[in-house]
Parts: sequence; C-alpha cells; structure tokens
Amino acid sequence: MTPKDHEQILQSLAKENRILKKKLERSEADKARAEETRRNKESLLKRVIVELQDSQAILEKKSSDLEQAFNDLTLMQNKLVEAEKMSALGSLVAGVAHEINTPVGTSITLVSMLSDETELLMKSIAQGQLKRSAFNSYLEIVQESTDILLSNLNRAGELVQSFKQVAVDQLSLEQRTFAIKPYLEEVIVSLSPHLKKTSHALTLSGDDTLTIESYPGALAQIATNLVTNSLNHAFGANISGQLHFDIARQDNQAVIYYTDNGRGIASEHLGKIFDPFFTTTRHQGGTGLGLHIVYNLVTQKLKGSIQVQSQPNQGVLFQIVFPISVR
Amino acid sequence: MLKIAVGHSNDPDSIEAVDEVIQQCLDALSGEIPQAGILFAAIDFEHELILTQINATFPDLELIGGTTDGEVSSVLGFQQDSLTLILFCSDDIEIRAAVGRNISQNPTAIAQQTVETLKDTLRTDLRLCITTPESLTTSASSILEGLRLGLGTVPVLGGTTGDQTKIQRTYQFFKTEVLSDSVPILLWGGNLLFSHGVASGWRPIGKRSIVTKVHKNIIYEIDEKPALEFYRYYFDDFAPDVAYPLAIFPPGEETFFLRGALSYDPDIGSLTVAADVPKRSIIQITDATKDSIKAASKTAFDDAWETYPGTEPAAALFFSCAWRRFVLGTQTNQEYAAIANALQHPIPSCGFYTYGEIAPLREKGPTFFHNTTFATLLLGNK
Repeated sequence: MTPKDHEQILQSLAKENRILKKKLERSEADKARAEETRRNKESLLKRVIVELQDSQAILEKKSSDLEQAFNDLTLMQNKLVEAEKMSALGSLVAGVAHEINTPVGTSITLVSMLSDETELLMKSIAQGQLKRSAFNSYLEIVQESTDILLSNLNRAGELVQSFKQVAVDQLSLEQRTFAIKPYLEEVIVSLSPHLKKTSHALTLSGDDTLTIESYPGALAQIATNLVTNSLNHAFGANISGQLHFDIARQDNQAVIYYTDNGRGIASEHLGKIFDPFFTTTRHQGGTGLGLHIVYNLVTQKLKGSIQVQSQPNQGVLFQIVFPISVR
Repeated sequence: MLKIAVGHSNDPDSIEAVDEVIQQCLDALSGEIPQAGILFAAIDFEHELILTQINATFPDLELIGGTTDGEVSSVLGFQQDSLTLILFCSDDIEIRAAVGRNISQNPTAIAQQTVETLKDTLRTDLRLCITTPESLTTSASSILEGLRLGLGTVPVLGGTTGDQTKIQRTYQFFKTEVLSDSVPILLWGGNLLFSHGVASGWRPIGKRSIVTKVHKNIIYEIDEKPALEFYRYYFDDFAPDVAYPLAIFPPGEETFFLRGALSYDPDIGSLTVAADVPKRSIIQITDATKDSIKAASKTAFDDAWETYPGTEPAAALFFSCAWRRFVLGTQTNQEYAAIANALQHPIPSCGFYTYGEIAPLREKGPTFFHNTTFATLLLGNK
C-alpha cells in the first residue's frame, strides 16, 4: 500500500468515526424521546381504558334508567287505557241516553196527548154533552196509544237490560270449573226456540274433555249473542244457514271458533263491529250492543281476546282465545 | 425535459458533507447547469459554509430549503444529521426563488407580497409553489393564508423547518442566506406536470371535548377549563406530547385535521399548537401505530402516483412530519423504503421531516396546513 492509500483509508475511517459518534449521540436522544413517547402511550391507553370503564358504568346506569322509564311508560299506558275506558263509558252513556230518549220521548208525547184527550172527555161529561161517537173515538185513541206506549216502554226496558249487560264488571257471574263442550250443548238447547222459527242448523264440534276454570255465565252470553247476531244479520229470508262452534286447546289457552256461512261483513264495517251502538239494522230494532257485550265479556271476564275475519258472501269467523284458568 | 440530481451525505463534518453532496450532484448532472435547488440540512451543520460552497459550484442557483428533523433521499434513504440537495434543470420549465423576511411582523401580508413580487417576474404561467417556511415564530396558517392570497388557486406544497425537536430556533435557506423568521418560496411556471397526495395514519381516541376559548393557534380553554388540563388528563403531569396531536373537528364537520402542541404555558394553562384552531371545534386526543403510519405514507405516495397527469414523473419530494418519526422510532427508514421498494425504477427523490406539512387535501383543492401527515409531490414534464 502506498502512503496515499493509507491516507485514503484513514480519511474513510475518520468519516465513519464521525458518523458513528453522531449516530450514537442521536441514538441517546432518540432513545430518551422513544421512552417518553412510550410512557405517554401507556398513560394515554390507561386513561382511555378508565374512560371506557366509566362509559360502561354510565351505559349500565342508562340501561337501568331506560328500564325504569319503560316500566313507568307501561304504568302510564295502563292508566291511559283506563282513561280511554272512562271516555268510552262517557260515549256509552251518551249513546244509551240517545237510544232511550226515542221510546221515552214518544211515550211522553203519547201520555201527554192521552191526558189532553181525557181532560176534554171529562169536561164533556161534566157539561152533560158527551156523545157516543166522541166516546168511541176516545176509546180508539186510548187503545192505539197504549199499544204504542207498551211497545215503546218495552223497547226502553230492553235497552236498559242490554245496558246492564254492557257493564260486565257489574254482572255477578259465578266462576267455576266446567267442561266447555257439554256446557255449550246446553246453551244451544236453550237457543232452540229461536232456531225453530228458521231452517238454520247450529252445530258443535271439538275437544269433549277440555275443562276450564272460568265464568260459564259469560260464555253462555257470548254464545247467545254470537248466534243472535248471525240470526239477525247473516241470512236473507228462506235461506238455510250453517252456524257452527268448534272448541280446541292451544297450550294453556282454550280457543272457540264460531262460524256462519251468511252474507259476511262489509270491510268498512269490520273495524267497528265491537263498538257500542254500531248497528246496520237500527230501523229494525238493532241496538248495536250485542257484539260490544261479547267483546267486553271476552276481554274483561275471560281475560282473552277476540278476532273476526269476514268477506262479503263468505260468511264470518270469530276466534276467541282465553286462558283455561282465569286465576 | 426535467433533469434531476440528488446528493446526500451523512458526514457530520460540514465541509466533508457538502463536498460529497456537490460531487454526487455533479456526477448526476453530467455537465448540465442546474436552475434551482432545495437543500435540507440537519440543525448541527454550519449552514452558511454549506451555502457558500454550493454557490461556489452553482452560482445563480435559485435555492431554498431549511433545517430539519430528519432527511430522506433516494441516495441514502432516511437519515438524521445529514445533508441532502436536489437540483433541477429544464429548458421549458421556469423556476424562481424569493424570500419574505421578518414574517412574524405580519405573516399574511409579507407572504402575499413575496409571492406577488416574484410572480410578476415570471415569463410563463405560474403552476406551483414550493415553500419551507419558519414554524416557531408565528402561525403557519397565517403564512399559508398570505401565500394563498398571492397565488389564487395555484397549489402550495412544502413543510415548515425544524430543529431536531429542540423547539428553539429553526433556519430557512435562500440562495446564500441563512435566515430565521422567514418564508422562502420557489415558484414554478411553464411545461410542468405534477401531482400530490397526503395521509396521516392518526385516529381520534378517548372523550370528545369542545374548544371554548382560542385565539388563532393558542388554545386557552377546553370544556371551559385550562387547555393544559386536557393533556394532563391523559398524560398525568407530563408535558403535552406532539406525538399525540389533537384531532380538530371544526363546528359542523365530520372530518378532522390534526394539530400538535408545540409549547404550553404552565401558568395560564394554554397550549400553543402548530396552526389555527376554529372556536367551538370538537377535539379529541389521537393515537397512531407504526403500521397505520407506514400505511398512510404509502397511501399518500400512491394517491400522487395515480393522479400524475403524465407518463413518468422525474422526481418525488416528501414532506413528513417529525412527530411521525417519534412514533416510528427505529422503523422510520421503512416509511421511505416501503415507497421505494414498490417502484420498478426508483425515481430521484428528496425530502425532510418537518414541523408541519403544507399540501392540498385533493387535486385542484385548496391548500391546507397539516400536522403528523406525509405529503408527496411528484414533478415531471412527460
């Protein structure tokens, strides 16, 4: 190696040495910096974990608050339902008043007229001017008026009876354990006088053994009203209809299907049939209370539910589901 | 034709380093005379000596640059305590340098004036501005605001100068001058093609708070409490750490930008961050992993690569945040290596670790000031 080569090597080594010294210096600074970054990262992550724990606690609290709010809402909902019932009672009373007002009003008019006629008659007698023809005319008026009065007062009396049934809670119905099917057979027998006037057939099928602990009186009323509803609405004259009850059990529930093969219910009426005083035959003496009473008995006494399906000319299907034991 | 030369030396001796860098450039230039250059130097060098040497070899060079927190190039990859120079020669691209001095006196007006004066001397259409402004004496947002006023829709790319995390004094280079509190700019006109991309890799973590009192880049209160408490909540009693910048969601915005805390006042509990923060912004502390940072750098480069309007960029400039280096540690070299390794033919490149990056978020979009991001600028003319 020449001295020049040596010098080059020395220069190169000197450069390497400078670089290494600088790198070492920098490395120390960077190491300190890296430690600081790592320490801060640890601190940051620890804090974030604490935040997450806090968030979790807050979420748990919120969840519990939500549950409480939900319970409060449920309570509120029940109160609202009660309020709604009271409001429904109000409209029921208004409806009853309106319904009863017609026969009672008619009766008052008639009685008032009879009173006037009687006064005239008594005056004629007192003056000794009573003629036979006038007396006969008076008797005709009396006979005609009392017929109409009787009919109107009967109508008012019927309405009051129906209204008593609407207030289901006030009915003193007996609760006992009984087999549904045999019981409904008895109800059907009791309905036979109504059916005899028609050519319809009322039949019963289903589980013979299903025994329930419930209100037989309510069940009888429900069945009677459903059948009466069919007899009043489902069939035209000279039609032989089929009315049918079927009884089944679903878990802890009893299910009664009631069908007829009549003219069905128009879709625009379907949502109103359980409303009080809704009737399509008011001119024929319909009160609009029969299915309303059914609804109240099912929901309040049997603690069940009732649904209806129908299409025009496809008959009707009522499905009543209620617990086997109301306890 | 845009010819590029890159020199890079990690010799801590100033004369040795600059001689080595100049020799590498002369070899690459093969006789051509460079018009302009950008120099990035570690803080410990004798910078005036270096500039004098460069000027002696390349007189009339339109040179800008500054001190750094780390340097990177296609010659040596990532280095610290090194010196790197990139030179540009072209017969159909015009490149001119200027500087705004004493910028803290009126950052916006001085920056605007600097651009407007130089713009008038250009013979060709202005296309691009590269800048290496001061970071410590004033709000970089105000400087950028002035540049934007002067440039209109012309994009700005660059980074603010550093001092190896000492946060004491940084220097800017303009031709043969070593300055502080200045904004050197390099304006490009003529037949230039370029594209850019930015990405960060930081993501918000922890509780969301609101900036309740702020003036420009000084945050006084967060959630109506001294701002410093926000950092102390996460870092116990340690000083605010720039490696964990704040994610700033301006009011009504779903996206955030990042602001690192440069300094703080323990008496009043204020935080001075790298650029302006809008009042009522929502803020969160942020965190990054080495992998998310490296992936973001690659994304920034890929975005620039995909949007480059020509067929073959001639050079790449990188502006990466010093705070990325704090988290990357010994893996900092992988930030550049991942980009270089993905290229079939490595392109001449040069860049530095900054105290704040300047780049548009998207093509033809307005320029923003960033922290903890990686910005790529691709340059060429075919």
